[in-house]
Amino acid sequence: MNFVLALQTLAAPTPDVNLTLVAPETIVSLAGVVVMLVDAFTRRANRPWLTGTVSLAGLAAAAAFCLWAWGSTAAGQQFAFHDMIVLDRMRLSFTLVFVVVAALTVFVSMIWVEWERLPAGEFHALLLFATAGMMLMASGDDLVIIFLGIELLSIATYVMAGFRRTDLRSNESSMKYFILGSFSSAFLLYGIALTYGGTVTEAGGAGTTNISEIAVRVGDAARLPYLPLLYAGAAMMLVGFGFKIATAPFHVWTPDVYEGAPTPVTAFMAAGPKAAGFAGFMRVFLFAFPYIAVAGVSAQLHAAWVNALLALAILTMTVGNLAALVQTNVKRLLAYSSIAHAGYALVGFIAAGATPDSAERADAVAAVVFYLLAYAVMNLGAFAVVTVIARSGDRRTEIEDYAGIGFRAPALSLALSLFLLSLLGVPLTAGFIGKVLVFRAALAQGSQGSRYVWLVVVGVVNTAISAYYYLRLVVAMFFRERTTQWAAPRVPASVAVALVLTILGTLYLGIFPGRVIDSLRAPRAVVSRLNK
Amino acid sequence: MQHYLLTILVLLPVVGALAVGLYGLAPARRDASYRWIAFLVSTATFLFSLLLLRGDGAAGQFHFAQDVNWIGAIGARYHVGVDGISLWLVLLTTLLVPVSILSSWRAVEKRTLAFYASLLVLEGAMIGVFVSLDLLLFYLFFEASLVPMFLLIGVWGGERRIYAAVKFFIYTAVGSLLMLVGIIALYFIYAAQAGGGSGTFDYVQLVEAMRSGALRLSPSPAQYWLFVAFGLAFAIKVPLFPFHTWLPDAHTEAPTAGSVILAGVLLKMGTYGFMRFNFALFPDAARAFAPYIVVLAVIGIIYGALVAMVQPDVKRLVAYSSVSHMGFVMLGLFSFTEQGMQGALYQMLNHGVSTGALFLIVGMIYERRHTRMIADFGGLSKPMPWFATVFVIASLSSIGLPLLNGFVGEFLIMLGTWTSPFQFARWMNPRVVTMFAATGVIWAAVYMLWMLQRVLFGRLRSKANAQLSDLSWRELGLLLPLLALMLYMGVYPRPFLSRSRESVLSVRARVLPETRGDFAEEIKK
Repeated sequence: MNFVLALQTLAAPTPDVNLTLVAPETIVSLAGVVVMLVDAFTRRANRPWLTGTVSLAGLAAAAAFCLWAWGSTAAGQQFAFHDMIVLDRMRLSFTLVFVVVAALTVFVSMIWVEWERLPAGEFHALLLFATAGMMLMASGDDLVIIFLGIELLSIATYVMAGFRRTDLRSNESSMKYFILGSFSSAFLLYGIALTYGGTVTEAGGAGTTNISEIAVRVGDAARLPYLPLLYAGAAMMLVGFGFKIATAPFHVWTPDVYEGAPTPVTAFMAAGPKAAGFAGFMRVFLFAFPYIAVAGVSAQLHAAWVNALLALAILTMTVGNLAALVQTNVKRLLAYSSIAHAGYALVGFIAAGATPDSAERADAVAAVVFYLLAYAVMNLGAFAVVTVIARSGDRRTEIEDYAGIGFRAPALSLALSLFLLSLLGVPLTAGFIGKVLVFRAALAQGSQGSRYVWLVVVGVVNTAISAYYYLRLVVAMFFRERTTQWAAPRVPASVAVALVLTILGTLYLGIFPGRVIDSLRAPRAVVSRLNK
Repeated sequence: MQHYLLTILVLLPVVGALAVGLYGLAPARRDASYRWIAFLVSTATFLFSLLLLRGDGAAGQFHFAQDVNWIGAIGARYHVGVDGISLWLVLLTTLLVPVSILSSWRAVEKRTLAFYASLLVLEGAMIGVFVSLDLLLFYLFFEASLVPMFLLIGVWGGERRIYAAVKFFIYTAVGSLLMLVGIIALYFIYAAQAGGGSGTFDYVQLVEAMRSGALRLSPSPAQYWLFVAFGLAFAIKVPLFPFHTWLPDAHTEAPTAGSVILAGVLLKMGTYGFMRFNFALFPDAARAFAPYIVVLAVIGIIYGALVAMVQPDVKRLVAYSSVSHMGFVMLGLFSFTEQGMQGALYQMLNHGVSTGALFLIVGMIYERRHTRMIADFGGLSKPMPWFATVFVIASLSSIGLPLLNGFVGEFLIMLGTWTSPFQFARWMNPRVVTMFAATGVIWAAVYMLWMLQRVLFGRLRSKANAQLSDLSWRELGLLLPLLALMLYMGVYPRPFLSRSRESVLSVRARVLPETRGDFAEEIKK
């Protein structure tokens, strides 16, 4: 009897299905399908707000699931689909960041879709599919799933970047993004293939793309006959992810793409896909090539990627900030600023990679998530203002267009100033706490080598440099007088909602960030609460 | 016991700023009302701050303390309190703000809402700086005070306001960012040595751990790096030569109220920071760096005075005189004697009162003539006798004439430096240093009196000057408290010094733990 049962199991293994673990992805994808249907069967005039509402409802449901599942992640990681999907605190917090980004993008894009007479349903559907892709990148415990997520995200984003079909800049942006995006995907894919080859065991066992499994094999590296392949694979993946999050020297596409894409799409790209890139990047490198105390090949591999990232972070911060100094276009300026911010977030990532202590690693990951959340909120807020001021066709995006508007449109200018100060990292704003958290995480590694302290010093020096270009906009708005005609634009209700949410978010995360930080790091906080 | 008085002092101006903003939304608003709201709120803040004089604990301790959790996740607390040092600086702040609001009554005509709102937010941030006992909280207020000042200079300033505002912001931001690194590093050093894994930003805890020996920053070089990280932020703020180049631009371009606050309060954040943080937290480094800082301070005294002498612009002259005066303060602090440090604290207050008054006076004449060039004036004492009187008194106070406040501060500082037990270095005798510094007083007399002579006395050369009206009641009224203070502080400094004595001594005991004995013994050594 037992024998028969065993045979049956062999013949048809029970699929390791656990739909609750992929609920956010499923909900958002289904919402995308519903949006397409609504778009097809409703009257044209109603479409923008209908599809927008459906999108928001889907995102809200996904967020509700994350909050519901939040407590269950305190115990540790859960796996499903043969270890392809993982549920842990890092994934849920990233998923929430994506939901926030997507929801704010829906609000910001509402007016733009109307101005440009663009098909709202298609835009919202693409946005939701892109969001599902981002979520997959955070939830995959397998290189293949992460790659699928990236492709789902990228293809949707290529289309969104070129959404204003009749505009040459938008086309150029889409084309560039597509070519360089494919290029980086190829790097990543090649890296995955090499990693698979590199993890072939001495005993002749097949290679693996499973992240937990890679970590196990790397821990016992003496048994891997094709070890050099693993180095090459890791390096390729580093380059691939480096493209996705736009680290220098793989950042060259960013300014052109960000400048040409429609402003709401730029807002989305700077916050969402970048955060998703970090989610995948951190998942792969922190979990597949973790810290190893014993000296040996694996420890070398770990040291190699941490040091490579260290160099990338320094380069990214510096290049981003220095290039931003000379920009005259606000969107390009914010594009370079987003490069610089990727560098600051990398500081936290490096700390997470460098630490031998798992609690410190959780803290550092939480710091990066907080940073990306703060960045998403303030950056989307800034782009919301830029969208309104640019008006239809993205015509007014030069810094000159902002001269002297401060006292003509005080609400918009004050909001933009708040976001710029937050991007700069002035206290009482989200950006300040974000910087404190990532710098703190890196300084906690100071005992491991002074290079982490120097990394932070480079970070603060860069922050000081960035003061100049963020202030330039404030100076233009408030300190200069306008010589030409200018009437304050009407702020539509949906953008107003986005602005109120981002302003409150920026201040809340800046003044009372305790709760958010605690829940991002929860496992230890839960323990201490139990102890009390 | 949690006290809310300090929190009220920090928040009241901010709430006032919000009130100004909300009133701006009212349909029946009148532009003239903004200044009334601002004036009433800042006066109320001043009256509240007088309650601090009552004290509620032993001398040398922190009074009116409030300590609640702020960001538990990173160990930052909302901990505020005042001791004999910060008490006076808070009072100076709350006094100067209503005065500068009164001075802007007519001078500021455009965008009054934003002007008074910024001024009030600035007041809240400045009070916050002086009462914070948590390093991260301190940093927060320290940086937050930049933004409203940046706006004050940039929107309501003079011709080169944009340049001056950006320079001011970037200079100070660069300095303070390194301090942030220092603050976080200190947190982890505490965690590793004394906190059993959990760090702290709490000033009182840090000092306590160092005093008990649980936290040792020496002899590792960490202490030197931390001293530099904190010290650079404060040295730029003071400003210590050669970090002073932002000051003349910012002071000159700022509107009168901005200059008064800048000179009166913002510069004190630097010297206060040295006293509170660099001395108490990094005493060994403070001793080691003292010779260099003393040299820079003396250079600042002489250089500031010499450059002030050749300025054609009255406001710029006053600005450079600040560099000189703040050099005295630094000299007194780093003499590490009771007299020197008490004198330095006293001189901080003096400088706030007398330089504040000078900037107000310059603002008044600029309002009338729209020029500040010395060459454009002459003989003003004839059409404007009251103006001339207060100008002379304020200048004499700035020079340090006996019976006025400046004398007490400078005398104490030089006495302290002369008797300093601390041999700064083999090549540098404290007495030589004092002699050099003393020339600063002479230079001060030269540039101030020469300027007075050219502006107030002599022949009336232009018709425009002959028709100038004398001070109005409002202008006289806002200068009167400052003039009274100059006289009072010059004649009877005891109430001030006796209150700060214990706090200053406890800071001094941190820097020179081996010399707890009294003054006479120190001389014998």
